Amino acid sequence: MTRWEVFKQDTVGKPYQAVGSVHAADAQHALLTAAHVFARRPSAHSLWVVPADSINSRTAQELATREVQDMGSTADAVTGTVRDEGSREQPYHVFRKSSHRRSMTFVDHVGTLEATSPAAALDRAMAEAPDAAQALAWWVVPAAAVTASSEADAASWFEPAKDKTYKQQSLYGAGPGGSSRRNP
Amino acid sequence: MERDEGSAEAREFEARIARGEKIEPGDWMPDAYRTQLIRMIGQHAHSEIVGMLPEGAWIDKAPSLRRKLILVAKVQDEAGHGQYLYHAAETLGASRDEMTEALLAGKAKYSSVFNYPTLTWADVGMIGWLVDGAAIRNQLMLAQCSYGPYSRAMVRICSEETFHHKQGREMIVLYAAGTPSQRRMAQDALDRWWWPSLMMLGPHDADSPNTPQLVAWGIKTKTNDQVRQEFINEHVPELQGAGLTIPDPALVRDDVTGDWRHGPIDWDEFWSVVKGNGPCNAERLAARQKAHDEGRWVRDALDAFAARQAGTGLDA
Repeated sequence: MTRWEVFKQDTVGKPYQAVGSVHAADAQHALLTAAHVFARRPSAHSLWVVPADSINSRTAQELATREVQDMGSTADAVTGTVRDEGSREQPYHVFRKSSHRRSMTFVDHVGTLEATSPAAALDRAMAEAPDAAQALAWWVVPAAAVTASSEADAASWFEPAKDKTYKQQSLYGAGPGGSSRRNP
Repeated sequence: MERDEGSAEAREFEARIARGEKIEPGDWMPDAYRTQLIRMIGQHAHSEIVGMLPEGAWIDKAPSLRRKLILVAKVQDEAGHGQYLYHAAETLGASRDEMTEALLAGKAKYSSVFNYPTLTWADVGMIGWLVDGAAIRNQLMLAQCSYGPYSRAMVRICSEETFHHKQGREMIVLYAAGTPSQRRMAQDALDRWWWPSLMMLGPHDADSPNTPQLVAWGIKTKTNDQVRQEFINEHVPELQGAGLTIPDPALVRDDVTGDWRHGPIDWDEFWSVVKGNGPCNAERLAARQKAHDEGRWVRDALDAFAARQAGTGLDA
């Protein structure tokens, strides 16, 4: 079964962030599964799913040691429209990881641009980012490969988690002895 | 690979670990680093999945709607945690099917502690307090791991698992202050889960030959004995504060270091359980096999649906 990378947007205006993957038969099934796996708690506003083989990934180390042009043109396989690579511009979403800080998410969405291939999209994204040299990893995804959860479903998919306060650790207090006695 | 040793890539890898950088999918890594991570993450994922069984058995026996909602959410979380971890292993080239097959064939391990039975409702609370408490100690350590995807899975799991720990503690503290039979039930659960909880953090450092390499690679950032000591120091005062008696007559507080020193652990029991001879090993694997077999029609239906969507179905 296809593996789908999942991106979660916590609230309106926040970037979509790579949270992990699910296995599913099609995009709608992937979205449903992703909601159960990655949005059991607040907060989530929207999900994107992308077939894993449509993700064009480069780490800083790979960029230092390999040609960007090695990137496949997986957009072709997804859209079925751009068979002749480089012949036509299409939109790409660009994601990057910028820090080694403790985190539960990987790359953040940083922009969308038109390019003729994933490699060209990455070239442009790097040229336009003043701090491109500090990026730790890039993902380039053809916009046509993205399936988003529907706005109409958002309330029924994501709002109930806010009422399930019994899942929040803050509800349970510090316990006998209090938290100050932990980790001497 | 032997030739990894001392190569320019290996030196750079070690320098990156020393700088506290995360290794990401696509980065160069020694083959043995990849292999050890797949083994560890796979075992960890299996532990989450098998870990649903001991508590899941009590969902339909929960004494109140609130406790039932909590337990359903907790068991559902464990399923989710297994998914995060299988994802992390997949970034290293492992396939989910292979990992599942290894579990069902008895080739891949899972945490020894889930091979003990849940005999009373208090076991649900005690598992939350002790087993999840020990797991969180281990997972906070692994959240600092050098491999990015494993580290991120651990951060997400710890943030959810703290609820598991606290709901268990709340339940046991309540019973420990309750009727005589509730107190007996809480103490009996502690008597049965204390030692398996210490054991689940792994053999003593002197008997854990993989640990030095795992620490050097930044996969583990603390040893088994260090994590166990943190767990004991956190839980002994709280359990005693709840009026319970820890079933270790040798347990004593070291006034100099502040550490609680435990008595000897029965490692023969631990290894017997790890080797498949614990009270519930056969039952746990049989339950996983049954779920796998009974879910086959769902997987087949999904495959058929996917083939039809792709225009390659039998009815295309």
